[in-house]
Amino acid sequence: MATARISGYYPGLVDLAAGQISREIFVNDEIYHQELERVFARAWLFVGHESQIPNPGDFFVSSMGEESVILCRDRAGKVHVFLNSCRHRGMKVCRYDEGNAAVLTCPYHGWSYSTDGKLVGVPYFREAYHNTLDRSAWSLVEVAQSCLYKGTVWATWDAEAPPFLEYLGDFLPYIDLTLDSWDGSDGGTEILCGIQKWRVPCNWKFPAENFSGDSYHNISHRSVDLVGIGPSGSGRRDMPELNMARKLHIAFPEHGHQTTSYLLPKEAAPLPAYQQSSVVADYFRECEEARRRKRGDWGRMIALVGETFPNSAFLARQPRTLAAWHPRGAHETEVWRWFLVDKSAPAEVKDFLRDYYIRYSGPGGMTEQDDMENWNYAHAASRGTIARRYPYSYEQGPGAEVENYEWEGFRVPGAVCDLTDAKSSEHNLRNFYRRWAEFMQAGSWDELTSWRRPARAEAAE
Amino acid sequence: MSDPVNIRQIAPGTKIALVDGAVAEIVSNPADGVWVFARYLSSPGDPARVGSEDMIFAQDIVEIRDDGE
Amino acid sequence: MTIAREQGYRPGLVDMAAGQISREIFVNEGIYQQELERLFARVWLFVGHESQIPNPGDYFVSGMGEESVILCRDRAGKVHVFLNSCRHRGMKVCRYDEGNTPVFTCPYHGWSYGTDGKLVGVPYFREAYHEKLDKSQWGLIEVPQLCCYKGTVWASWDPSAPSFFEYLGDFIRYLDLTLDGWDGSDGGTEILGGIQKWRIPCNWKFPAENFCGDSYHNISHRSVDLVGIGPSGSGRRDMQERVMARRLQVSFYERGHQTGVYLFPKDRPTPPSYQHSPVVSEYFAYCEEERRRNRGEWARLIGSPGEIFPNTALHPRQPRTIAVWHPRGTHQTEVWRWYLVDKAAPWEVKDFLRDYYIRYSGPGGMTEQDDMENWNYAHAASRGTIARRYPYSYEQGLGYEVENYQSEGLRIPGTVMDITEAKSSEHNLRNLYRRWAEFMEAESWDELVSWRRNSQSRAAAE
Repeated sequence: MATARISGYYPGLVDLAAGQISREIFVNDEIYHQELERVFARAWLFVGHESQIPNPGDFFVSSMGEESVILCRDRAGKVHVFLNSCRHRGMKVCRYDEGNAAVLTCPYHGWSYSTDGKLVGVPYFREAYHNTLDRSAWSLVEVAQSCLYKGTVWATWDAEAPPFLEYLGDFLPYIDLTLDSWDGSDGGTEILCGIQKWRVPCNWKFPAENFSGDSYHNISHRSVDLVGIGPSGSGRRDMPELNMARKLHIAFPEHGHQTTSYLLPKEAAPLPAYQQSSVVADYFRECEEARRRKRGDWGRMIALVGETFPNSAFLARQPRTLAAWHPRGAHETEVWRWFLVDKSAPAEVKDFLRDYYIRYSGPGGMTEQDDMENWNYAHAASRGTIARRYPYSYEQGPGAEVENYEWEGFRVPGAVCDLTDAKSSEHNLRNFYRRWAEFMQAGSWDELTSWRRPARAEAAE
Repeated sequence: MSDPVNIRQIAPGTKIALVDGAVAEIVSNPADGVWVFARYLSSPGDPARVGSEDMIFAQDIVEIRDDGE
Repeated sequence: MTIAREQGYRPGLVDMAAGQISREIFVNEGIYQQELERLFARVWLFVGHESQIPNPGDYFVSGMGEESVILCRDRAGKVHVFLNSCRHRGMKVCRYDEGNTPVFTCPYHGWSYGTDGKLVGVPYFREAYHEKLDKSQWGLIEVPQLCCYKGTVWASWDPSAPSFFEYLGDFIRYLDLTLDGWDGSDGGTEILGGIQKWRIPCNWKFPAENFCGDSYHNISHRSVDLVGIGPSGSGRRDMQERVMARRLQVSFYERGHQTGVYLFPKDRPTPPSYQHSPVVSEYFAYCEEERRRNRGEWARLIGSPGEIFPNTALHPRQPRTIAVWHPRGTHQTEVWRWYLVDKAAPWEVKDFLRDYYIRYSGPGGMTEQDDMENWNYAHAASRGTIARRYPYSYEQGLGYEVENYQSEGLRIPGTVMDITEAKSSEHNLRNLYRRWAEFMEAESWDELVSWRRNSQSRAAAE
């Protein structure tokens, strides 16, 4: 396994030994269709947040891969994720973005489903079907597995996929850094305002690799740093305490997740942040002090950006947001972006953050626009007949990762690259594509759960 | 066939006359214009239904009855 | 044949025994390409109406399957249908919608064809071709079979296809309901106004199955019924007389055509219709009386939507229109819609109908828009990786069809499902897909003309 991992998959397409990836994987329609089956039909995907469906009958229409799904809460309070397609002739049973409904009724022929997915209303069941249709066999198609974690809802179509927490493995603490309250208590987050949805003319893997830990593209955002869109008016986020931290790329090769995060020194006191509002600055300082008390060593970890394989990205702090890069054909991505705040934060704090978030991210966000400009043309160039013959370079910083990274007494799990002096590495990106290639080649989940195999456990001893 | 009845906003408690001669009372309305949940008050063709609740299809509703009918 | 029909065709794709059809047939590229060869290159297709090309030199550019064709009338008055593609290097020889011309000239190199398809003009025939090109071999490609029937023009690319009348069989009576005068006289219809053409993002089979007798989706049109877009202001069409009729779905198994009809009892009175205009209402009342005198027992039949296999939809009455669902790739359909009126009707009637027709049908038509919304999302869902693993349900009314349906002495040809009490059935839809599967699997027309064998065996038995 180790040998195969080093020499790379798909010889000619993804060559991790040389650190080169063919432009084909971004533009080839056949590869795209294989992704729909091999990646999106098998992986765990982010669907939404429980705060969007607090009451029985609440629904939010989301997406898994290309397909429309309904996230809803049934009368008994249980959360479901259904394929948004009538079993009779396929029409959407829910044509709205969100709301509350007693039943989901298809407008084509009137078949109607309760919020637990059962087919309850069939026009002329007696007269036209002569009572013979087996309604129990025609429920809405439901995901094979779903998981609610600190408010977030995840789902997979594949019954063979490992449970969500096993799927995350040791990456879980980085998800926690996004989902836990600022003061370090468990969970307690909610979605702020609406969900932004927009399309970008590029393959979904351009944003996915960017958010996996492309620390190299900071120069692209120089203009927003110069005008100072950040919450203290300098740069695009508060950097003073990060300047004293170790900057790390942390990858989980067997699971395919990765993050860029900062590790503060022991006993580092919080530095001023959110300085454009003294109320907000005070609030965050108190939270930060509480967090370090509650979390001990983990209070030293500040997560910045990361990707849960394959297409769920987080920005954990400034701003604090979850994004899904929905595939819409090989040449288009539909981005859905959720913004998070602590449920219990004062209105002033939430309001301040709302302005900051939309200034930074989303289709109108100044930082996000830099990225989209890049992805747009990178993708267009990848399609070119001549251009696509030339691979992209992913060789930055090979071999610098360590499995047992430790600094000032804190051991960081995962394959870690310390970038403090190196400034940048493509370690995390290689990790993403390694896992992508594994999914594309694997016949089943058996080949994708290497951590379960006894050989590995023995080798570790 | 009678004129179609707009059932989107009929309130719970309203009585409706059905195509088979039954009369039912709205229990809840999902407001989709296709179904209502109603309880049978009278059902000449199938008296066993009286008192039971069912989903009633819009095309089977011929009339909204005023109170007192 | 009967056993195979019961067990269904294409196990896994079209299962008639269970009444389930795979979503694949709507979205699979391989199946679509096969349809172009096995279906559209072999069947009879609707091309246009003679009233569009009344004079010698008149032409109307139409479509057969994916291909552009020219419907025209030559100098001698004969009607032709040609492939709209120059024999030299393929460019369209006619780039316009309709008109009149003595010749069709290709803009690429100037080759020019008479309206009878003959290659007549070849630039530098003497100097460059040294007079060697055999012009008689390079005429426009013409359909091997063409049929003009009561004004409508039909064509087939397949010389081995049965004649149009044999292709229709007993369905011709139902086509007549669309093409005959409202007073029951033969033919006498003309096309009203322009042809509407528009594209929808769905496979052609979604509209095709809808119009072959999807009686179940009436609820989708509730909003237009409620606002009353119909010619009497109530509902979307005049329905009063149907309350007293038997509602039937009629399928022709061996041919693949199907339609809905309403069957009236003997001697029923005519309720008023077209009440928004006294002139129009009177006209139709008069026509209806005449129709009963002219047609006798057959006047008891009133047409409802139907389909001539594979993609010509008929709406015989309100509104009165013929549509073709042209395939434009697996994921797109181009609809062409013709509207019909009696040639002899007064202008007030034609004008009234024009408003009603476009209010109802077409890309701006309120009823048609409900359908397109459904097909749009049904098709999109069929493409989904997960969704396409789940078949669609076509089992409604399975097993309740009857042959030799009769009502008060009138025998209805075809296999009939009486849905007066049942309200609905998917009988006609199953018929469409059964025939579709036959065409997809048949190597030649020999396997598609079972009625010839059945009639021979019936004759032998007698």
